[in-house]
Amino acid sequence: MKTLQKLGRRPIVLTAPAFVLLIAVLGIPMVQLLLTSLNAPAFSLSNYQGFFEQTSNVRVLFQTVKISVVTTAICLIIGYPTAYLIVSASKHVRIALIVLVLIPWLTSGLVRTYAWVVILGDHGLINNLLLNLGLISSPVPLIYNRLAVYIGMVHIMLPMMILPLLSVMQGIDTSLLAAARSMGAGPFLAFWRVFLPLSLPGIRSGSLLVFVVCLGFYVTPQALGGLGDAMLSTFIASQVASSFNLAPTAAAAFILLGIALVVLSIFGLDVSGSQGRAARATRKSLPSPLPSFAALTRFLKDLAAPYRAKRWTAQLYSARGDSRLSSIVGAVFVTLVMAYLLFPGLIVVMMSFSGGPALEFPPSSLSLKWYRAFLGDPSWTGAFWNSIQIAVTVAILSTILGTLAAYGFNRTSRRVRSVLTMAILAPITFPAIVVGIATYFGLLKLGLLGTRSGLVLAHSTGAITSVVVIVLATLANFDQRLERAAQSMRAAPIQVFMRVTLPLILPGIIGGAVFAFIGSFDEVIITSLVSGFDMQTLPLKMLENIRQEIDPTIAAVGSLLTLMPLLWLMILYATWWWSKSRLQQLSAKPPA
Amino acid sequence: MARDEAPKEKHVPVQIEFCGVTKMYGAVAAVRDVSLTVSRGEFLTILGPSGSGKTTALMLLAGFVAPSSGDILIDGKSVAAVPSYRRDQGIVFQSYALFPHLSVRRNLEFPLEMRGVAAADRAGRVTRFLDRVHLTDFGDRLPWQLSGGQQQRVALARALIADPPVFLLDEPLGALDRHLREQMQDEIRSLHKEFGKTTICVTHDQEEALTLSDRIIVMRSGRIEQIGTPEGLYDRPATAFVANFLGEANIFEDPAFKIEADATQPSGTLAMIRPERIRLAVATGPGRADTDQRQSVIGTVTKMIYAGPLRKYHVSIGKSVLIVRQHVASGQEIFDRGDEVRLDWLRSDVRFVSA
Ligand SMILES: Nc1ncnc2c1ncn2[C@@H]1O[C@H](COP(=O)(O)OP(=O)(O)O)[C@@H](O)[C@H]1O
Ligand SMILES: [Mg+2]
Repeated sequence: MKTLQKLGRRPIVLTAPAFVLLIAVLGIPMVQLLLTSLNAPAFSLSNYQGFFEQTSNVRVLFQTVKISVVTTAICLIIGYPTAYLIVSASKHVRIALIVLVLIPWLTSGLVRTYAWVVILGDHGLINNLLLNLGLISSPVPLIYNRLAVYIGMVHIMLPMMILPLLSVMQGIDTSLLAAARSMGAGPFLAFWRVFLPLSLPGIRSGSLLVFVVCLGFYVTPQALGGLGDAMLSTFIASQVASSFNLAPTAAAAFILLGIALVVLSIFGLDVSGSQGRAARATRKSLPSPLPSFAALTRFLKDLAAPYRAKRWTAQLYSARGDSRLSSIVGAVFVTLVMAYLLFPGLIVVMMSFSGGPALEFPPSSLSLKWYRAFLGDPSWTGAFWNSIQIAVTVAILSTILGTLAAYGFNRTSRRVRSVLTMAILAPITFPAIVVGIATYFGLLKLGLLGTRSGLVLAHSTGAITSVVVIVLATLANFDQRLERAAQSMRAAPIQVFMRVTLPLILPGIIGGAVFAFIGSFDEVIITSLVSGFDMQTLPLKMLENIRQEIDPTIAAVGSLLTLMPLLWLMILYATWWWSKSRLQQLSAKPPA
Repeated sequence: MARDEAPKEKHVPVQIEFCGVTKMYGAVAAVRDVSLTVSRGEFLTILGPSGSGKTTALMLLAGFVAPSSGDILIDGKSVAAVPSYRRDQGIVFQSYALFPHLSVRRNLEFPLEMRGVAAADRAGRVTRFLDRVHLTDFGDRLPWQLSGGQQQRVALARALIADPPVFLLDEPLGALDRHLREQMQDEIRSLHKEFGKTTICVTHDQEEALTLSDRIIVMRSGRIEQIGTPEGLYDRPATAFVANFLGEANIFEDPAFKIEADATQPSGTLAMIRPERIRLAVATGPGRADTDQRQSVIGTVTKMIYAGPLRKYHVSIGKSVLIVRQHVASGQEIFDRGDEVRLDWLRSDVRFVSA
């Protein structure tokens, strides 16, 4: 009790457990890897020189950056108008559209990649359709080329672009547009001079997020691209297990990290100082690389709000009547984007019920045979249970550590907080492959490679970060005067936390736990590096099968995983709704 | 119901006209069958409780909301086909709507730019307006670096800088504290004097309405309850709602209480008297000289509220409770709970309002 009270007075201590884990699994190995790549203690740049001397490496590096840039640009070009149309839609349409964006965001990227294999493959949906129609006589090569990579990558990344944009755009005070109009700015000028500059923070964070994730995410390009479309991350991943000398691989990873950090510091830090605060639209003080969480919270609020007082300006009635043409074009555009986001998942779900001997679309007969195959195959069910057990453990561990850390952050001075936040955000700011190789190295040193505890630790780094981000955001909205009030009523710090703070931030904690679970359950990049030969998880087993493209059971698994986000959304909504109605009940009671 | 009193100055051209304007949101009418005229240079206030449709009325005029039926005329011409950005109105929004990404100076330049004013002319004009609202040194700040009152002044300057013929304000002082509010009221009044713009101001604050306006429109549930000058509305409210919304009112609802008045009471109305029109005296004291013009009753003080320069009493007479305000002048008796008092008032001060 005494020690707890002391802890309450030195909140920074609460961040220690999370940091210990992060430093042991990620921090120290990172430093060691850097030293290795520099040939410490001799210190030379030979590994880096070696990297750049090999033209194939340089080509792959260039290609990696190019694919990431192009993907980011396409996502922005599609995502910005989509987000704009979503925020300007009427409430019910807006809510429906946001759900449709959230579902793919919460669905495993692996399943969605698999869906594209199924659609674009030589014996896939499109080729079969064209063959059956007699339009072609032999399959056209749709897959294993650059176009397929872009189709798949954009599909995976688009929600990550749209959600931050939505979050920022929904925060833009629409009366500003009305003000611009009252001063004589026509619709286009009002958009150009007011809306666009205010939405820049969303453009920035969405683009950064997509770019950095692209840099480290190799599953999709590997599954959909040809040999010539390899990314640097593919190269690194294949080197980790096969070569004994880690130094060149480490050098490659740090080059990738270097690119990410340069881009982050140029576009991330520069603008956020002045503009970010000026545009109070994003009221969150947290420079979060995952504003998607903010979008989610905002969405949940929106869902329950009966009527938003300022909504009238959203219509921004223009007396000539909104040109019918432009609204039709908008509707068609959004419909196409939503189809692109959701159709692949839908196809997997439908195909999983097919009764034929192989996968087919549309299914000629319906059956549950692939689900039975899934349940009857111990290698699948074993992987499934492994994943569940690991994810539950990760969720519990990281929710506890992450909540403590977030609480500690929240109570420290602003400066300390911003430094520590940057540190703890590393696992989701760095390219996944870099985190993966560092974790690999760390678990190697700890002797935990290929063990269940190793996987739990590996997944916990990212999961803790998610929990911290979400709980911090919840704490930012928490009125600290309530704690003072409780203290004035003689509640000790621990009682204050248990009786006042915890109940009020519980929704955030549950949300954090859900995201920790999802993150672990779907994780494949780090897992594939550190799982060794014995530990099989569901995503790993799927990854194997995507490459081999033989076992139709994967459709059943994919379909289960596609339907899971609906469950997640319901849990998140139920949590949020429950806490809100509880608060309303509390405030409805007359003051005693 | 809505008695439109003639504008004070004759022969002033009517500038703005609402003809039976209705705005429906689903089945709810935010504004219902509103007709009114505003003369050039007039200061008109729309007053009403929250949700009575004031903002909607203003936004209909500004062109952000289209009327469901009825028409709005400006300078005699319908503006149904004129989009908001061609209506040439200076608007101060409820939360100021200063562009957070532009400096104060750039905020002020914005309406000039939109009207195609050359850069050289803009700079001089902005400087002049910054001086005018006492923000000479604040031009390079961003809006969030200003206090509430300063932001308010930027919003006022920005609305006026392009010299629009019509000036609209939506609850301009709602977010300010009392002291600042009084300062800003002076500012708005002097800006109105100086620029002589036709001004329409929306507020739920009756004091603001009474002190600023040439005329007041009282709105209730989307309808116009009454239109009149401040004195007209305060002294001769048409309905109990107006009587209660503008200041305090004693309304006699107990039929057992016989009120005497100069005029005869129209059927379906209630008698009303303002609290400050009632005199209080010691119950046993001598009657007043002018008793023939006064009604006098005995009551018991049930509550005394101290309010600085004045005291407010609740006096019960039979089933009714009357509110009485008395300025504390020297020599004035002060009563306390339980005291028997004599109340009297001029019969000519009694008004009849419809329920
Ligand atoms: N965009 C809208 N959608 C639905 N109802 C609205 C909308 N705007 C206003 N209302 C309704 O119209 C009524 C009047 O609103 P408003 O003009 O904002 O009132 P005031 O400004 O007097 O507080 C309110 O009942 C409000 O709920
Ligand atoms: Mg209003």
